[in-house]
Amino acid sequence: MDIQLIEKTNISMQLVIRGVDVPFMNALRRIMMAEVPSMAVDDVVFIENSSVLHDEVLAHRLGLVPLVTDLDSYNLPEKCTCKSEFGCNLCRVTLTLEAEASESITTIYTGDLKSEDPHITPVSDKIPLVKLAPGQKIKLEAYARLGTEMVHAKWQPVSVCAYKYLPQINIDEKLCNACEECVKICSKKVLVRDENKIVPKNTIECTLCQDCVKVCSSPPAINVAWSDDSYVFNIETDEVLPPERIVLEALNILNRKIDDLLGQLTTKNELLH
Amino acid sequence: MIIPVRCFSCGKLVGDKWEDFVKKVKAGEDPKVVLDSLGMIRYCCRRMLLSHVDIIDEILKFYEETQKKEF
Ligand SMILES: [Zn+2]
Ligand SMILES: [Zn+2]
Repeated sequence: MDIQLIEKTNISMQLVIRGVDVPFMNALRRIMMAEVPSMAVDDVVFIENSSVLHDEVLAHRLGLVPLVTDLDSYNLPEKCTCKSEFGCNLCRVTLTLEAEASESITTIYTGDLKSEDPHITPVSDKIPLVKLAPGQKIKLEAYARLGTEMVHAKWQPVSVCAYKYLPQINIDEKLCNACEECVKICSKKVLVRDENKIVPKNTIECTLCQDCVKVCSSPPAINVAWSDDSYVFNIETDEVLPPERIVLEALNILNRKIDDLLGQLTTKNELLH
Repeated sequence: MIIPVRCFSCGKLVGDKWEDFVKKVKAGEDPKVVLDSLGMIRYCCRRMLLSHVDIIDEILKFYEETQKKEF
C-alpha cells in the first residue's frame, strides 16, 4: 500500500491510495462518514420563544450548526463514566442564547450563542439562526454532545467523502495527428497540447467520460482506462475536525473492530477448530 | 422561510454564505463568480443559495406593523 498526498487545505484533502481494493476503500469511507464522532446540539430547552420560527424548527437549525469538536477532552455519552442520561462535564457542553429585538428587525447569528467551553463553538459566527421583529424574544439553552452519523446526519464530520478509480490515459503517438479535438471537448481540461503532440496534464481530474475517445478519429489514438488497485480519495470536512484527523480516527475505529473480532476468535477457541 | 444551515444533499455549511451572496448579487456581480469565490463548488450547494427566497422577511412585516399599532 502506498499513500500519496495530492492536495491539502484546512477543510479538504485529496489522496491517491495504491495497492488496495474496493472493500477496503469503502470500509474507510463509510467509517469516516458514519462512525467518526463530532459535536452537535442534541437537546434544546426553550425558556422563551416568541419568534416566527417554531421551537422544533429552531431546535433543528441549532442541531445542524457544525461545532468545532475536541475529541480528546470529550466522551461519547454512551461511553462516559457518568452513566447519566443528562450528561456531565465530560460528555456535554451547554450553549445559551438570549436575544431580543427592540427597535428594528434583528438577525440572530450563531455568534450570539454563548458556549460554556470556549473551545466548543460554532465553526462560523455568521450563520443566521432566526430573524426577530421588534418585541420578539428568544431565550434558550442548548446541550451539545458527541455523536455519530449512524444516529443523525448532523453528526457527520465530512460533507464530501468519496473515492474513484485512478484514471490512466494513454495516447498513441503514431495514430495521433494533434488535431486538438480532444483538448476542446474535455470538460475537466485534462489534455493539453505540448508542441506537436497531445499530453495528459492533470490525469486525476479525469471523470472517465470517454468524450475524448469518441471525438478522436477511428481507430482512436487515445485510450482512457482506470487502474484496478489505485484510488483517488476526496475528503471535505464541515470544519469540525482537520481532514487528517478524520482519516486517522476512522482507521483507529477500523482497527478496534478488527482487534475485537480477533480477540473474540482467540478466546472462543472452539471457533478455530 | 430562512436560509437552511446546510446543503440538503452533501451537508456542506451554506447558511453563513447567504448574506454575502445576496449583497454581492444585488450589487450587480455575476452569481456564478460570487458562488465560485464563496467556495461553493458542487451544484447541490450552489442551488441552495441560487434558489432560496427569504420568506421570513415578508412575514416579519406583519409583526412589525402590529408592534407599531400597539404603541
Ligand atoms: Zn458524562
Ligand atoms: Zn452540497
